[in-house]
Amino acid sequence: MTPPPRRLAGTLILAMAFLACVRADGWEPCVQVVPNITYVCMELNLSKVPSGIPSSAKHLDLSFNPLRVLARRSFSSFPELQVLDLSRCEIQDIKDDAFWGLDYLSTLILTGNPIQNLAPGTFSGLLSLQKLVAVEINLSSLENFPIRHLRTLKELNIAHNLIHSLKLPEYFSNLSNLGYLDLSNNKIQEIHHKDLHVLHDKPNLSLDLSLNPIDFIQPGAFDKMRLQGLTLRSNFDSAHVMKTCIYGLTGLEVHQLVLGEFKNERYVQEFDKSALEGLCNLTISEFRLAYLDDFPKNINGFFKCLVNASAVSLANLYIQSLEGLPNDLQWQSLELVKCKVNQFPMLELPSLKRYVFTANRGAISFSEFELKNLEFLDLSRNGMSFKGCCSQRDMGTTSLKYLDLSFNDVVTMSSNFLGLELLEHLDFQHSTLKQASEFSVFLSLSKLLYLDISYTHTEVAFHGIFSGLVSLQVLKMAGNSFKGNALSGIFTDLTNLTFLDLSMCQLEYVSQGVFDSLLKLQFLNMSHNKFISLDAFSFKPLHTLQILDFSFNKIVSSNGQELQHFPSNLTVLNLTQNPFDCSCKHQSFLQWIKDQRQLLVDAKNLECVMPPDMEGKLVLSFSNTTCQITKVIIIVTVVSVAVVSVIVGLVYKFYFHLMLLAGCKRYGRGENIYDAFVIYSSQDEDWVRNELVKNLEEGVPPFRLCLHYRDFIPGVAIAANIIQEGFHKSRKVIVVVSRHFIQSRWCIFEYEIAQTWQFLSSRSGIIFVVLQKLEKSLLRQQVELYRLLSRNTYLEWEDNVLGRHIFWRRLRKALMDGKAWTLEGTAGVENSQQETTALT
Amino acid sequence: WGGDGVWPTHTACRKEGLEVLYQSCDPVQDFGLSIDQCSKHIQPKVRIRFGIILREDIRELYLDIALMSKGASVLNYSFPICEVDLPKFSFCGRKKGEQIYYAGPVNNPGFEIYEGKYQILLELYNEKRATVACANATVICS
Repeated sequence: MTPPPRRLAGTLILAMAFLACVRADGWEPCVQVVPNITYVCMELNLSKVPSGIPSSAKHLDLSFNPLRVLARRSFSSFPELQVLDLSRCEIQDIKDDAFWGLDYLSTLILTGNPIQNLAPGTFSGLLSLQKLVAVEINLSSLENFPIRHLRTLKELNIAHNLIHSLKLPEYFSNLSNLGYLDLSNNKIQEIHHKDLHVLHDKPNLSLDLSLNPIDFIQPGAFDKMRLQGLTLRSNFDSAHVMKTCIYGLTGLEVHQLVLGEFKNERYVQEFDKSALEGLCNLTISEFRLAYLDDFPKNINGFFKCLVNASAVSLANLYIQSLEGLPNDLQWQSLELVKCKVNQFPMLELPSLKRYVFTANRGAISFSEFELKNLEFLDLSRNGMSFKGCCSQRDMGTTSLKYLDLSFNDVVTMSSNFLGLELLEHLDFQHSTLKQASEFSVFLSLSKLLYLDISYTHTEVAFHGIFSGLVSLQVLKMAGNSFKGNALSGIFTDLTNLTFLDLSMCQLEYVSQGVFDSLLKLQFLNMSHNKFISLDAFSFKPLHTLQILDFSFNKIVSSNGQELQHFPSNLTVLNLTQNPFDCSCKHQSFLQWIKDQRQLLVDAKNLECVMPPDMEGKLVLSFSNTTCQITKVIIIVTVVSVAVVSVIVGLVYKFYFHLMLLAGCKRYGRGENIYDAFVIYSSQDEDWVRNELVKNLEEGVPPFRLCLHYRDFIPGVAIAANIIQEGFHKSRKVIVVVSRHFIQSRWCIFEYEIAQTWQFLSSRSGIIFVVLQKLEKSLLRQQVELYRLLSRNTYLEWEDNVLGRHIFWRRLRKALMDGKAWTLEGTAGVENSQQETTALT
Repeated sequence: WGGDGVWPTHTACRKEGLEVLYQSCDPVQDFGLSIDQCSKHIQPKVRIRFGIILREDIRELYLDIALMSKGASVLNYSFPICEVDLPKFSFCGRKKGEQIYYAGPVNNPGFEIYEGKYQILLELYNEKRATVACANATVICS
């Protein structure tokens, strides 16, 4: 089903409006690398230069876009441009003035464009162009290449083209700044006498002609010419052609000559030493030779034309032995790289200052030599063993400044660099050092700046291992171990150290004061160790520290109090790949991490490992409120438990009072059956039966009393009877206070209930009858009762006629208060009046 | 560029019970590779053909190889192919936008491939650690 066109159009308009909102920047879809400076628009299917890029742009990469044609002034809206990359833009046609206005352009890259038409004024206006890369642009001739006015050009790369002739046009004499011309991988076969005559006044030019199938160089073509460099690799398809072509170079004075082949482009078979005979007609300072098969076994005479060279590099040649070198060699530098030399050569070259003998897997063990001017010695990557290292005796020099013995087999430290006090750079990495931690090996190296003993199987046990290294700036000792996995005070002398690598050392502790003397340290790498806590206190002396790497440890947390001692100049802190504990007890550490996120590497991806409910969560997502909520929950719980306990206690204590309260509600509105509930001690029962009941129930008006011996329901608990029968069904309570009453627990209980009842029903319902005069001391045992009796009016029983009369009158009056008069009651009142009359 | 964002799987060689398939894992581009002498008994210096258009300059070039079998890592290897000083191969120093076609031997020892299925991750990168080419290869030996 297709939507109706109108709806589709509507959707499209909406979508475009949305995109317009999203697309806030004009330079999109390009990538802004440096705002207003660098823009990358690589492979975006652009057919023209995007318009939204700011005119201040200095670097513009438009590579891999189908621009096809560059019209006039294509880039005039970017007058500040310095680098313009137009690699693989399918450009076939470049019009006149295409780059007009790019006064500051220094680099133009046109690699991989199938250019068919370059207008004569293509590069006009490029007043500052220094580097032109026109690799693989179908260029077949230099004659029509319109670069004659590019006077500022320093580097011209026209490799991988179809150029057949090295005939350099006259305009090259204009290019007075040209220093590098790459013509490699073209189709040049022959070099003739007049081809290069424009280069006669260009002594600073380096020329690369590699991978051209050269088969003829006319003798004299390079005569009296001076070049900075000439590279001819994989040019000749036989040793014979090579030999004749080298003769063709006769008369050339070149600083650096590079000959040889590439591993994947080998043509010269049966190379013999006569091939280089022609070099005797050249003046060469540096000679380099690489990748030649079938190198002669006997090199006697091979180097006779290189006697006066100052530097020789030989790489990937099957030189088995260096025996037979001429005695009068003036070489100051010799490099032998991957040459399969089967024995460590016994060199006798007094002029040699620099000797590089690396990656020659044939050599097994080092043997002493005498090179008394040697300053630079690189013997790395040979897998060699050194039975004794190192002293002047081994190398015969006292001038050595640079020594590299890395990536070898066992190096036994038998001497502490006696006579080699000028050493500045020492590298032992990935060789196995023996006896390095038994004495102060480096004691005499007070000028050493750089020391690398990484991965040398060294167990640091001796505190004086680095004694004497007072100038050392860089110490790399990754991949070693420490006694007890503790870092102790071994850096005391290293007061100039700026870089220290202690990664992969299985470290667990840092002893106190280890870093105290490292007052200039800027970089410290402690990654891939086994620290479980970030011990900020030990970094306190490192005021200049800028970069600290603690990644890949087992750091769970850190003491929050100590973190204030963290170096204040730190700009980068790496704590990635540590098992952080994000529980609330580490709250201050986690907060510190959040505060330091600006200097933390990859802070937003730091993850918690503990506690289980936080596993995999981001450290930055840790919230203090979580901990506060927990605190609140704890407080609320404690308070609730306390309150509940108090309530339960109170309920237990006032169980009956509560029952009374419940009863009040239930019976509150019901009618009272009794006029009074009498609380008395059983000891006073006689008085109650004979006096109280007789006078009140049989008297006028008749009152109905609730008496336990008569009215309580059998089978019901006494307490229940007291409450349900006694209080709830009675209007008033008569308390018969006597000595027995105070001494009876039941009576006191009943009295307390009565009080509560009085309080709850909020009426004055308790009538106190004091039967006997009470001793005050006895009464005081019942504080509340005493208080009440002293405050309230009570009736006192007096056993005489007048006293009795007044007593009953007052009691009746008290009982009448609030009595609901029924018919029976009214009659009672009349009777009472009669009786009253009769009495008076 | 494959429609669903994945490059198609190519066959580098298929012969005598050995099958080598690969897929580019560089989001930017695909590339071509074929292996001559396809055999369970790998000869030293196997010849390969490799074609690519460079997205980066390769003044320096490094290769990382990771071999996996049944999901477990068996071998990790990293080595330089192009170094600045006296580069080894003729394609060293080539420029972004330039086409490379390499037909030649690989510096491998001879060995026997045991029956099974292997995954090989190959990555070429330059001195700026920018990916030059990346391949997920599957070797099936039966």
